[in-house]
Amino acid sequence: MTKCTGSLAELNSLPYIEGTLSAREIEQFEEHYFDCPVCLARLQAIQAVGLELARNPIALPAELEPRSRLGWPVWFWSAGAISAMLLVSVFTYKRIEVRPGKPTGALSQPQSPPQTQVPSQPAAKPVHLSQLADLTLPAFRLPNLRGESLDAHFEAGMKEYTNGNCSGTVAALAQVPAESGEARAAAFYSGACQMHLGDYASASQLLRNVANAGDSPQQEAALYELAQIALVGNDPATANAYLKRTIALRGDLEGKARKQRRRMTALTGQGNAVEGKNSEAK
Amino acid sequence: MGQSNYMSGEHRRDDAGVAVEKAQENERIVLAIVAGDQEAEQSLVLQYLHRIRAMLLARTRDPDLAADLQQDVMVEAICALRRGQLREVEKLSSFILGIARNVLNSHFEKATRQPVSLEFPNDLPDHVAAMDLVAEEQEQVLAARAISALDPVDRSILQMTLVEGLKPGVIAQQLRLSPTVVRQRKVRATRKVANLILKLSQNNSTTHLSERVVR
Repeated sequence: MTKCTGSLAELNSLPYIEGTLSAREIEQFEEHYFDCPVCLARLQAIQAVGLELARNPIALPAELEPRSRLGWPVWFWSAGAISAMLLVSVFTYKRIEVRPGKPTGALSQPQSPPQTQVPSQPAAKPVHLSQLADLTLPAFRLPNLRGESLDAHFEAGMKEYTNGNCSGTVAALAQVPAESGEARAAAFYSGACQMHLGDYASASQLLRNVANAGDSPQQEAALYELAQIALVGNDPATANAYLKRTIALRGDLEGKARKQRRRMTALTGQGNAVEGKNSEAK
Repeated sequence: MGQSNYMSGEHRRDDAGVAVEKAQENERIVLAIVAGDQEAEQSLVLQYLHRIRAMLLARTRDPDLAADLQQDVMVEAICALRRGQLREVEKLSSFILGIARNVLNSHFEKATRQPVSLEFPNDLPDHVAAMDLVAEEQEQVLAARAISALDPVDRSILQMTLVEGLKPGVIAQQLRLSPTVVRQRKVRATRKVANLILKLSQNNSTTHLSERVVR
């Protein structure tokens, strides 16, 4: 095609991907690479790197942990100072102990042994995925077409739900008969409320029933909420599996699930999110 | 920013011949599509799919959305060509780029996500999905190899830039580097991975990125 060496793409690809080119520059660059395979290939190469890094995020190198962590000199001197204090305390305590007749003052008070040991190395902060969990109540959506009548208990339950009364919602929705058309929706919103109330076992049971019952308006949300429960339980494998199932449905929550999965993978390191325990969600 | 900045006079003469050939090829494809030739439609898809995908990916930063919209663009382009809407055949690339921009704008304006010409052809060749799968797998392998060749700090800089969309100042803070160093390392790392991918793809004829477009 052209004899372009790709220098235009070398110059513009990154700013183009980053969105820092002007509208005019974007148009010119697009007009160019639409007819220039050399520049197109270079642009595609950079895009492929971005996609690969998004699929398999890399963990930050250990030496580049965030600034908030204390550097080794601080740890060294702190640990030294605490160790010295403990040694002095123990030594003094023993000296007092071997002189029974003498008044001991404040030090004769019963002392509990030191509860904590000074770590020789700064302990790594455990990664807990619960910080990623989205525990907000899902918005209420009518389970059937507008105008169709709803089960009375379901309506009552959803009134409580929209008022933010989770206990009332659970109580009312428990009255919805199993054969009712709103039974699945009732199970979903009960599960969401149980989750909100902190009863994750009941919530999981209800939401699993909805998720595994097949295609329904609540299936995607149930899978997403199950992923949140797994995150609260710091179970990356299950969370990952539920998020993948959510994404696979390509519904309204796809974007949120993708974002959360990326964050989870970045937080736990690439392997942890996929390995770990045997996932119940598979 | 014009092409003339980096093209010698000799190259321009070469390009003139290439441009004529290309115009003739485009004319053949366009006329064949008007005549209902499905192989020509297939050629069009092969020729433009990756360009459209690159454009949509850069503009949306969402691979799934880009994949959805590229289908819309190809469908609309073929429908428009079947109706004979392209008057100047030499402007085929601009015509398709224009359709891609319109589809993208329509998507963002939420006016419509479907092509305007809703006579969705049942007989549209379905090469898009198959091509995508193969190409994506190949790109993935090459990109992974190129990334693994980078220094860990450079990898982090690229991830923060290309995936998280962070600016050099923010990256600099996180990595305890100066913004200037981040900018320099970002440019160098980008050039290095791109060169490596292109080199690897040249070694493997099935994965040559530019070749895929020229076909």
